[in-house]
Amino acid sequence: MSDHDVTRPKEIGRNIPPIAISETSTLVNPTGSWKYIMPRYEDRVAPCNAGCPVGIDIEGYMYLISQGRVKEAANLLVRENPMPAVTGRVCHHPCEHSCNRASLDEPVAIHSVERRLGDMILAAPPIPAPERTRRETVAVVGSGPAGLACAHFLARLGYGVSVFEAASEAGGMLRLGIPEYRLPRAILDRQIERIAGAGIEIRTSTRIGVDIPWSDLDVFDAVFVAPGAHTGKDSRIAGAEGNEAVRPGLEFLKEVNAGARPDLGSRVIVVGGGNTAMDCARSALRLGADVTVLYRRTPREMPAIPLEVREARDEGVGFEFLAAPMAVVMEDGRFTGITCQRMELGEPDESGRRRPVPIEGDVFFAPADTVLTAIGEDCDLSFLPESVRTKWGLIEVDPVGESTSTPVFAGGDAVDMPRSVADALGAGKRAAIGIDHYLHEKAGEAVGELPLGALRFGDGNVSAVRYLEDGDPIPREAPVNEVVTWDRMNPHHFHLAPRHEDHFHDATDLRAAFGETNFGLSEKEAIEEAERCLNCGVCNRCELCLIFCPDMAISRREDGGFEIDMRYCKGCGLCAAECPRGAVTMTREGI
Amino acid sequence: MKKVMIGNHAVSWGVLRSRVEVISAYPITPQTQIVEALSDMVADGSLPAQYIKVESEHSAMAACIGASIAGTRTFTATSAQGLALMHEMLHWAAGGRLPVVMADVNRAMAPGWTIWTDQNDSLSQRDTGWIQLYCETNQEVFDTTVQAFKLAEAVNLPVMLVLDAFFLSHTSEPVDVTEQEDVDRFLPRREATFKMDTSDPHAFGALVRPDAYTEMRWHQQEAMREAREVFREVEDEWEAITGRRYGAVEAYRADDADLLLVTSGTITSTARHVVDQRRAAGEKLGLVKVKMFRPFPTDELRGLLGGVNRVAVLDRNVSPGRGGIFAEEIRAALYDVPPDDRPILFGYVLGLGGRDVTPAVINDIIDNTRSKASPEREDLWVGVEL
Repeated sequence: MSDHDVTRPKEIGRNIPPIAISETSTLVNPTGSWKYIMPRYEDRVAPCNAGCPVGIDIEGYMYLISQGRVKEAANLLVRENPMPAVTGRVCHHPCEHSCNRASLDEPVAIHSVERRLGDMILAAPPIPAPERTRRETVAVVGSGPAGLACAHFLARLGYGVSVFEAASEAGGMLRLGIPEYRLPRAILDRQIERIAGAGIEIRTSTRIGVDIPWSDLDVFDAVFVAPGAHTGKDSRIAGAEGNEAVRPGLEFLKEVNAGARPDLGSRVIVVGGGNTAMDCARSALRLGADVTVLYRRTPREMPAIPLEVREARDEGVGFEFLAAPMAVVMEDGRFTGITCQRMELGEPDESGRRRPVPIEGDVFFAPADTVLTAIGEDCDLSFLPESVRTKWGLIEVDPVGESTSTPVFAGGDAVDMPRSVADALGAGKRAAIGIDHYLHEKAGEAVGELPLGALRFGDGNVSAVRYLEDGDPIPREAPVNEVVTWDRMNPHHFHLAPRHEDHFHDATDLRAAFGETNFGLSEKEAIEEAERCLNCGVCNRCELCLIFCPDMAISRREDGGFEIDMRYCKGCGLCAAECPRGAVTMTREGI
Repeated sequence: MKKVMIGNHAVSWGVLRSRVEVISAYPITPQTQIVEALSDMVADGSLPAQYIKVESEHSAMAACIGASIAGTRTFTATSAQGLALMHEMLHWAAGGRLPVVMADVNRAMAPGWTIWTDQNDSLSQRDTGWIQLYCETNQEVFDTTVQAFKLAEAVNLPVMLVLDAFFLSHTSEPVDVTEQEDVDRFLPRREATFKMDTSDPHAFGALVRPDAYTEMRWHQQEAMREAREVFREVEDEWEAITGRRYGAVEAYRADDADLLLVTSGTITSTARHVVDQRRAAGEKLGLVKVKMFRPFPTDELRGLLGGVNRVAVLDRNVSPGRGGIFAEEIRAALYDVPPDDRPILFGYVLGLGGRDVTPAVINDIIDNTRSKASPEREDLWVGVEL
């Protein structure tokens, strides 16, 4: 019999570790050799950025807010948009219409965040005026959003800028057309002061072609023309001509916005369905009148910002849809109202909206003391030399606003583009870049082609930060100029969070009240709202790639970004699949 | 601090007090309230832990395994089909020598679809290498939860604490929740024996050849052996702090008894009541409660049951084709008792799928055990054949 007891483990057995752990380090097992595709961090463009006519890095400032870097966020915003306190209030925010978050729950209330940042910027001391680095000077005709934006960016590019304004105060349609309850004058004044404070000369009460001739602008190296559209279209109401009771709505708005309180009588009809019509209706309401908006189509076709329509309705404005004004009615030489034609919707017209068609014989009488017409405005371009070609009453321009007559550039409502504050600001920015490029070329400085495509957010407007190369506060990882759509995102890591809605005034009593009606969001609410941003297409350091990498091949870099140890990345693609925002791409390149 | 709480929340409180660092679980009745309360605690910050949501129990245990390898204190809870789905991962936790703690709320296995209690879910996992501790009261549930971490981490084995569905899980009782500082003294932060270290990476659970596998299992068995003694020490320490101890096996009025009932879980409380009543009438009747099923308390049971005339084992479970599982294990344990000391053992199968085990049922069992010279067969089905 053996002296060895088979039931007792031998010494060697006792030395086996109690768990199955490799004796050697697994560092020597480079699983990276297995891969045939590999991940790459590539930051893309959020749809809000591409959807913003101004060209604002919305996603960028939302990210900075979420990191507690609110001041930097405000700075990034104002570098792309010189008047965020204005646009935060009056912009129709197409950014929110393109927001991917709508597919998850509700779009981010971008305008509310912008407004809060804009007010913060106005409350803070102004940044130092840019240095004059260029000897050339540029004239800007018109001090509306297009003109002021162009002047602002030209000043930042180092030029001397003079702005010529026909009215007694700067602001263009912002001051003349938009009522105080939407845009308080104190905000507008301070915003314009900020822009002018950066070394821009603004000559008010100087209408080109009247106060000074166009030829006076010859001393400038370039001219940006942004006169706006101020002539109300003909109402085509029979008997309206010369009748004081039927007035262009814009004229009425200019009066009210200048501080006058005209007597419109007790019943007012506003003709039109756009923002001017809403502004007229709500202003007339504040003067004590009962107001009815007459629109020839239905609510669906109204071009006005839906929120404006809702506010008007809440405040008590009445609506008469599918009705068009026909003729003035006089009794004993006194204006008593208008006859109106009932309409129905027919086939779609060139704008895609269904065309209103009269219903034969269906005519009704609408009593009124005043009729305000707001059916669109035309431009007065009579001051321009013939070499500046126009088409359908609008100045013809190329993508950076250059007209057919060098060195005249144009933008805003006087060119063929959507008539909005944001579009005007965007046109001003593009033209400033176009003018800068032109003046460099003219000075014989080698500049090459203007890389307009690369300056744009996707197919949206240009970025001043990109053009000026004056430092993006967020390091972008291998940026690709491609908009990230919802189908590129992985929604499974997002939490539902309700949108913060603006706080509004009590709409039940507002007679003669021109105070602001929308109070926006508190700072805390605005920050929470910014945190709802999904940072589409851009790495926001959420770490999911690092967490999900089964090979622990991903690690943090010192700058906060990530790096992939390709010796161990086996190309499984989990990081790209899990990335909630489409900022990781799998590629064959480099293998 | 005394609080009235359901058994499920006694588990949650035990986990809170144990400062668990990672919880991963998938909801299943009757367990869900355990992890619901824990997710609230994690959400409101009172328990600074990671709560990992997963799509199945298999993944829940996988997440616990990963977190445990990383050196954290981990917890999960489940019942019935959920536990069955974890089966493979239970081996990974035990074979990986990871001190994961899991609460299993005993629920009968489907089909027929059921949510009520019996022990077949946990007993089906008998051979996965998990320590199993069965509880009788909510206080015991709280105490055992905290003890489970101490025991698991001392011997590097996972621990399953087991409580009856509804009779404990959803029934409120007063529970003395031990103060945090006392628990901290008893249960310091986990110091992992084997830990994944990214600066010195190793493969865990990798291939083991035939020349080493047996030794690994031997180590596991040694740890199980050690767990019996460690559990005694854990209870000593806990008793010094709280004044409470339960024992791997508890003898209740067993001295001089000629008939001993053997129970586990909540049937024990009912049986105590019957023992008290019949003792008052002069009957030499006692009770043995089995708390620890793995490692099996063979020596304690031999000591208590050897020399007694009759033993009635009440099994809320069945191994089809054999009989009640506790009865079978005890029969095997008593084989080495000298023949003259071997009791006559009656194995009763009862209370399956949540059927109530009332004092009347237990009285019938006692009467039956006393009236027969020997059991007619290994498995006596209460309420069906009896």
